[in-house]
Amino acid sequence: MLFKIEPRAEPSRQMAIAAPLIATAMTLVVSTIFFVSLGLNPFVTLYTFFVQPLTTMNGVSEWLLKASPLILIACGLSIGFRANVWNIGAEGQLIMGAILATGVGLFSPWQESALLLPLMVVAGMAGGAAWAAIPAFLRARMNTNEILVTLMLSYVAALILSYLVHGPWRDPAGFNFPQTALLPYSGTFEVFDYSYRLNTSIFFTVVAVFLTWLFTNRSFMGYKMAVGGVAPAAARFAGFKSSVSVWLGLLVSGAAAGLAGMMEVAGPLGQLSSQISPGYGFAAIIVAFIGRLNAFGIVLGGLLLSLLYLGGETVQLNMGLPSSVALIFQGLLLFFLLASNFLVNFRIRRLVTRTH
Amino acid sequence: MKRATRRDILKYGAATGLATGLTGLPGLSRAQEKLKVGTVFVSPLSEIGWTKQHSLGVEAIKNEMGDAVEITTIDNIYLPQDAERVFRELASTGHQLIFGTSFSHGTPMQKVAPRFPEVAFEHCSGIKHLNNLGTFEAKYYEGTYVAGITAGHVTKTGKIGFVGGFPIPDIVGPGNALLLGAQSVNPDITCNVIFLNSWFDPGKEKEAVKTLVAQGCDVICSMTDTPTGVQVAGENDAWSIGYASDMSQFGNGKHLTAFTLNWAPVYVDAAKRVAAGTWETSERWLGLKDDVVKLSPYNPDLPAEVVAAADQAQADISAGTLHPYAGELKDQSGAVRAEAGSRLSDGDIRGMNWFVQGMIGNLG
Repeated sequence: MLFKIEPRAEPSRQMAIAAPLIATAMTLVVSTIFFVSLGLNPFVTLYTFFVQPLTTMNGVSEWLLKASPLILIACGLSIGFRANVWNIGAEGQLIMGAILATGVGLFSPWQESALLLPLMVVAGMAGGAAWAAIPAFLRARMNTNEILVTLMLSYVAALILSYLVHGPWRDPAGFNFPQTALLPYSGTFEVFDYSYRLNTSIFFTVVAVFLTWLFTNRSFMGYKMAVGGVAPAAARFAGFKSSVSVWLGLLVSGAAAGLAGMMEVAGPLGQLSSQISPGYGFAAIIVAFIGRLNAFGIVLGGLLLSLLYLGGETVQLNMGLPSSVALIFQGLLLFFLLASNFLVNFRIRRLVTRTH
Repeated sequence: MKRATRRDILKYGAATGLATGLTGLPGLSRAQEKLKVGTVFVSPLSEIGWTKQHSLGVEAIKNEMGDAVEITTIDNIYLPQDAERVFRELASTGHQLIFGTSFSHGTPMQKVAPRFPEVAFEHCSGIKHLNNLGTFEAKYYEGTYVAGITAGHVTKTGKIGFVGGFPIPDIVGPGNALLLGAQSVNPDITCNVIFLNSWFDPGKEKEAVKTLVAQGCDVICSMTDTPTGVQVAGENDAWSIGYASDMSQFGNGKHLTAFTLNWAPVYVDAAKRVAAGTWETSERWLGLKDDVVKLSPYNPDLPAEVVAAADQAQADISAGTLHPYAGELKDQSGAVRAEAGSRLSDGDIRGMNWFVQGMIGNLG
């Protein structure tokens, strides 16, 4: 039996609705087999994974705290992705944003000033955007592949961070360990309640979601970029310059990632250390695709991925499962979700072969 | 129990969370009879290595106190933002004694501990204390010094290779002591160093060991959370020194010895004190004398006089008549750091950020 995968002329509306349902059903079936084969009660395990983490205020606070950077970065990425500008290096832009923001927070003369935090916000966005400007320049001027350049620059950024925390920025009173001094109080976001870690930086993410929606669904520029992504020849014919898409797509996503890095440093971290991101820049790519590059879809995707992280910890804490089991389950779910999304734009047709 | 699907969660998750949050934490009101102990591991829990040795410490509590304790463990928690959440979660769910097992758990523990003054926190390889946050650490350098003596006897090229997780004093110091042990046999021996900037990255570690072997190192010691160093050394016909656990099964017959870590006394002691209500914050720095650092059985191919020399050094260090960092001690630039007849101070050892003469490599 032979099958053929062919693109649909138009995205299927039925599939758009059915895809998450198929993914959920497949995940439930496969994870049930998986959990039963490990001798676990699948209902208890799924409950512990998805419901238990959100049964306390602290859990909800942690859920939003972890989802916030994912959503913010994914919003930025989606703008470029729609125009076929593939920024894979949000992780590096996040790190550069965090570095610049920390630099302002620790070494600028306005340590006590109320302006310190806004300055750090600007520095974070500028750091991320500047790091993304390198691949933008190379792509727009020399047609260099931005996928490779953004990815490679992530490793460069990680090494710069490592150099700073092991060298010149190392906390002089920190017993020689690779981390900077703590940011001054005026350089950190206020938490909503002292029992929880969720802080006011989440408002940036809320604003970013609405701006992304406005830009992609309600602006002419967003429309031009989308056309350039779907039909580059048509876009050129209509006089839309592709280099504008490249610059905008990379600078916006870089600034969003840089801001997310700044929010981590000025929020739950409070200082730079040799590794500051649990892979938010890469996870945000998954979030953008789970959300099908739509601002509100991204919110759901970010909340889901954040819950997966928390659920993975909860099954460890409450059921004593090893972290690898949690990781396998997370992988299963994401695989089914992204694989079934594929069916929205493609269909699988059986080829009839004649035998004589 | 209600069967929950992902879509349900997305729709109702926040609402449920808010509602149950207001009604308080279930389970906390229940009277506590058992001692609840929480432990956070930095790497995935495997059969061997740093994290495994800590899990043996936790098991020792269980063996000693049986049903009087209830133990929660979580592994693979490295980043500070995740660690802080996990420590909060453990502290707010009735755990009375919580262990952090990596340097990177330090800042999160310092943030969480003041919010839970009735909970006892114990931090391995930490430095900063609080009223309810104690620290404990091993004198790894005593182990590497003894292992270095065996390395000094077997090396033919006069070069040893050292792989470190991070260039922090807890790794730099033992690296120095490894070479000093080897130089006590032959002062011309040198040591090439590579840092991974990760505790758990077998791929990178493999490349590092291959590089060291290619540079002519014929004894490899790797201070990470994996047996990769021992394994790759064995594959390339180089001698190896294990860290944390006895790693001879991975060494292809070339495992000289391992300096192992036995945390059981520390874990059991802390649990008993918390149960008895006599726990107080303290700083412990334990070595060969305290049975926390041990040498695993030597390679049977080692000549008897080498084993005797290593055993003698072990006895002398325990007795205090031999100190690995005794003068005269010079750094890479040749400057004298400890005069003949003296030794490095404890503070200098715990903050060691320089290499002794003969180390080849940079901190970073």
